Amino acid sequence: MADDATKRVLVIDDATLVRLYYRSALERAGFEVAEAFNGVEALEHLLGAHFDLLVVDVNMPQMDGLSFLRTLRARDLPWSSIPALVTSTESAPQRIAAANAAGANFYVVKPLRAEALVQYASLFCGIRHG
Amino acid sequence: MPLIRKPPASSGTATLAPDPAAVLDALTRGNHDERWAAARAAADLPSAVPALGSALAHENSPIVREALFSALARIATPQSVETVLPFLRSDDALIRTEASDALLAMKDAARAYVPALLKDQDSNIRILACVLVRDMPSQAAASLCCDLLDSEPEANVCAAAVEALAEIGESSALPALMRCADRFRATPFLEFSIRIVIDRFRSQLSSPRA
Amino acid sequence: MPEFPSLTQDEFRRLCEFLYRRTGMIFTEAKRYYVERRVVDRMLSTHAPSFEDYYARLRADMHGEIEQFVNAFTVNETYFYREEHQLSCLTSDLLAARLAVKRRGDPIRIWSVPCSTGEEPYSIAIWLLENWRHVDEYDIEIVGSDIDTAAVALARAGFYGKRALMRLPPRVVERYFASDGDASWRILDELRESVRFTAVNVLDRAATLSHGQFDVIFCRNVLIYFDDIARRTAAENLFESLLPGGFICLGHTESMSRISALFEVARFADAIVYQRPLEVTARG
Repeated sequence: MADDATKRVLVIDDATLVRLYYRSALERAGFEVAEAFNGVEALEHLLGAHFDLLVVDVNMPQMDGLSFLRTLRARDLPWSSIPALVTSTESAPQRIAAANAAGANFYVVKPLRAEALVQYASLFCGIRHG
Repeated sequence: MPLIRKPPASSGTATLAPDPAAVLDALTRGNHDERWAAARAAADLPSAVPALGSALAHENSPIVREALFSALARIATPQSVETVLPFLRSDDALIRTEASDALLAMKDAARAYVPALLKDQDSNIRILACVLVRDMPSQAAASLCCDLLDSEPEANVCAAAVEALAEIGESSALPALMRCADRFRATPFLEFSIRIVIDRFRSQLSSPRA
Repeated sequence: MPEFPSLTQDEFRRLCEFLYRRTGMIFTEAKRYYVERRVVDRMLSTHAPSFEDYYARLRADMHGEIEQFVNAFTVNETYFYREEHQLSCLTSDLLAARLAVKRRGDPIRIWSVPCSTGEEPYSIAIWLLENWRHVDEYDIEIVGSDIDTAAVALARAGFYGKRALMRLPPRVVERYFASDGDASWRILDELRESVRFTAVNVLDRAATLSHGQFDVIFCRNVLIYFDDIARRTAAENLFESLLPGGFICLGHTESMSRISALFEVARFADAIVYQRPLEVTARG
């Protein structure tokens, strides 16, 4: 894949306004964005399309973000190692440890600022500055 | 014509009036399939609520847990709700999700608990309460959300209340939304969310399109 | 007469979110025109003077408006070879996956529930005969079930009009149907006798259990009518009705995402389907 191809981000969060906030920030910065309501819908997306980054919330109905990550990492397919930025309302060390054990690459406490999200996304997608 | 064969008539129905004592026993003592079947059968036994709670405390299979929580949600008594509530505080994200889903599946029974949940010490429980509140009658729901917006210290919880108000659509919430935006001027996400809902309410009020 | 030819972006989004939360139906931007038309229809039928008014009515489920709305989408008219991509998936992928793990000699069991007036189960039978090269090598049981006993009776009788047959190639009609006079065709006796029809409510555990376990279940456009607890009950009943490793296919606007994580998500060239886990593993 060419370095300058548009990077695709899958935003996984059950809160509509959170997804909207992330979408507007990421699209303004030139990313393509898809949304999923929870881990099950995220798996449906991932089975059918390529993504460069996942932004995954933890607490979601039906399938939480950590169960989703464990399922994703266990599937042993090319896209199983997509970088995952986990977002959560929790900052306790054991919660962060649980996320890392599930396969998170990075953990951020909500609420996230648009600029920070774009910076993380650029970093994880290997976008060079300038 | 090739072999698509009509099967024989079904041989009897499953016995679904099992002995309650056997069901309760199998909740913890059976193999995986037996625990699953017992959990499903327990949905018809309101007296099984305590046993369902005990089984949940030790059950490692998400599949069996789904059936245990479903049984509680179908029984849907205040006792069911109170049995589910502690699991909202689990360190295991999946169990927290399962417990939330169970409450959401017994909204009528959970309704009486919403005001207290909106003031729970755990912010995630307050966030869940903001989802539960959406299924209450609009004005009562809006009123609870507005009260929260005036006193809630955590931005994430306010965001959940804003999201609820966005769905409920009661424009009487405008003043409380504006006050909250003022309080959280340093939190761009919350400002963004409130702005969207304020704009929506304003356009609702200004163009009735009758 | 109100004039509301379209919804604003915000209105469309709100509506879709609400519908997803309540019914599990997924509508994307691609479906916008389709959704708008039906909203306008419902607004006219309910005499709602504005979208806000209609949305409030929908949220409150006034006079069962949610069911009315969902009805507008499921299109009561059914026909043969509807959602052909799922039939393709069956013969391209699902059956092979099942055969890889089944015991020799066990029949392949397929359930169409709800089956309405029989178009779907008969379509499965015809499709297999026409498209599956292994059809002669295995015993295949096809069962069609519906809560509506009148529909089940019609399914057993097997008479269909032109509209029901519109997607079938003419040679398929010729091969499996006999003309019954005025724009009516009857499916051949051999085919009628090879599909078993029953009356069942997917919420009734005893009734679903009595049908045994299946390799593939087609369960389209019924879960969307249920509330959260009924959906869970139905999903658990359907889970029990699947053999380990068996597959369930939902309607094209439906997803398990709003219902349950019991099933694993599987995607094939032609469809997303859900699978009962083959084995119970320790939670990872």
